[in-house]
Amino acid sequence: MKNGFRVFLASFVALGFSWCGFVLAPVLQLGTEKQTTVLNSTENYPIQRPGDAALGLQIYRANGCVACHTEQIRQEGVVCQVSLTSLGQNKPEDFKKFMASLLELPEFRAFTNAVAGELKDWNGDLPKAVFPDVDKETANSVIQHINAGGCKAEIRIAATGADIVARGWGLRQTVAADYLYDAPVQLGSLRAGPDLSNIGVRAPDLNWQLVHLYAPQSLVKGSAMPPFRYLFELRKIGEAGAASDALQFPKDFALPAGYEVVPTPEAKELASFLLSLKADVPLYEAPFTADVSKP
Amino acid sequence: MNDETKSTPANGEPTASRSAVPVWIVVLLLTILFVGAVYFDSHGGWFNSKVYGPYASPEQVQAHQPGTLSAAASGKLVYESICGACHGVDGLGKPGQAPPLAGSEWVNTKGVARLIHIPQAGLNGPLQVEGKDWNLSMAPVGVVLSDTALAEVLTYIRSAWGNKGDEVTADDVKTVRTAMGAQSRPLNSDQLKAMSE
Repeated sequence: MKNGFRVFLASFVALGFSWCGFVLAPVLQLGTEKQTTVLNSTENYPIQRPGDAALGLQIYRANGCVACHTEQIRQEGVVCQVSLTSLGQNKPEDFKKFMASLLELPEFRAFTNAVAGELKDWNGDLPKAVFPDVDKETANSVIQHINAGGCKAEIRIAATGADIVARGWGLRQTVAADYLYDAPVQLGSLRAGPDLSNIGVRAPDLNWQLVHLYAPQSLVKGSAMPPFRYLFELRKIGEAGAASDALQFPKDFALPAGYEVVPTPEAKELASFLLSLKADVPLYEAPFTADVSKP
Repeated sequence: MNDETKSTPANGEPTASRSAVPVWIVVLLLTILFVGAVYFDSHGGWFNSKVYGPYASPEQVQAHQPGTLSAAASGKLVYESICGACHGVDGLGKPGQAPPLAGSEWVNTKGVARLIHIPQAGLNGPLQVEGKDWNLSMAPVGVVLSDTALAEVLTYIRSAWGNKGDEVTADDVKTVRTAMGAQSRPLNSDQLKAMSE
């Protein structure tokens, strides 16, 4: 072939360029990620999934859960809130008057209605969000005014986005650090069922996870999830009584009399894995102010 | 146009001919390349591994850090690492281990001096907390904390779980510590009851 060498060179460059974009660049960017710490703490993040949960990841993979569930939270924006932490020597009524006068400044006039709504039924409980979601410069300037008045306020950073606010599936987006010890990463691309990044936070009960795998419709009315009965064993209750790890079903789900459902090791490992799915701590690359009001 | 007549030269074998690229294609592609480069520069974060949307640059990520822990958060942190083991993360205590702090009349006081004495000196002897009798001993676990840290922990327990006490300042702690001097013995519950709030 007359131009054989040139054809080879052209196809090598085309494929090589593609390989650089899909393989080399991501490895250079994220391949050296290491364990980091939680924001403002010395706690390591992430920690290796415990043994059961690491096996559970392979069960999750083997059963194709990724076909209907995702494990990624998307974040669309970030907002700053002003949180009043201390009134000092002032009373709540004084503070409301102070805020009313602050809102007369031209740069804060637009927030009059929002602030009035926040403070209307406030009885003095702290901490209290006293300003609507704004950008950092506005929040900082409000805080300076409040601090100058003898009270104490601080800034709270919060992540926003449909996954976070509307669906309540997480407090921040998932980043590379969340998947550091998972191989392969099961990000998913379809949400026939809810996102699972924080399922260990939303449903931390082992029995709930097992019952949900055995009979999803008994816990979530109208669920489209198929039951995974082959991960369990339906058997007669023996003379020694019910097994200690038999599933506790909700009232309206009836098993045949004298029978119990016992999870196989695979079911327990899968449930352990689901319980270990948490991505709710702030990180440097996905910061937010952790809520201290909840215990 | 000359080239077209050469497509079948004298020796019979056709060859591909060269044609000029229109200038407008070149200009259009260069414009698109320029627009793309400007977009990359403003949104790409130069592929920094710590920059994720919605942040567009490492400076933006740095600017949105919540900063060092607020006083409330660090008070909670210290409580959970030191006090929570006995008094419970939920402040409810445990029989035989530690009395509850949630709703305790010893925590929800107007003054703070008596409360500061408890972690600073330790406590022994029978005490009534929320109507129940307790007779345990507490080590002076607050001695190792700085004035600010102890103030933050006490502020946290006075405002968590429905408690309605106001804050304890580092100056309050300092005053009590100076007055106590180098106290090596835990307080007796009778001494505690005799103290004013």
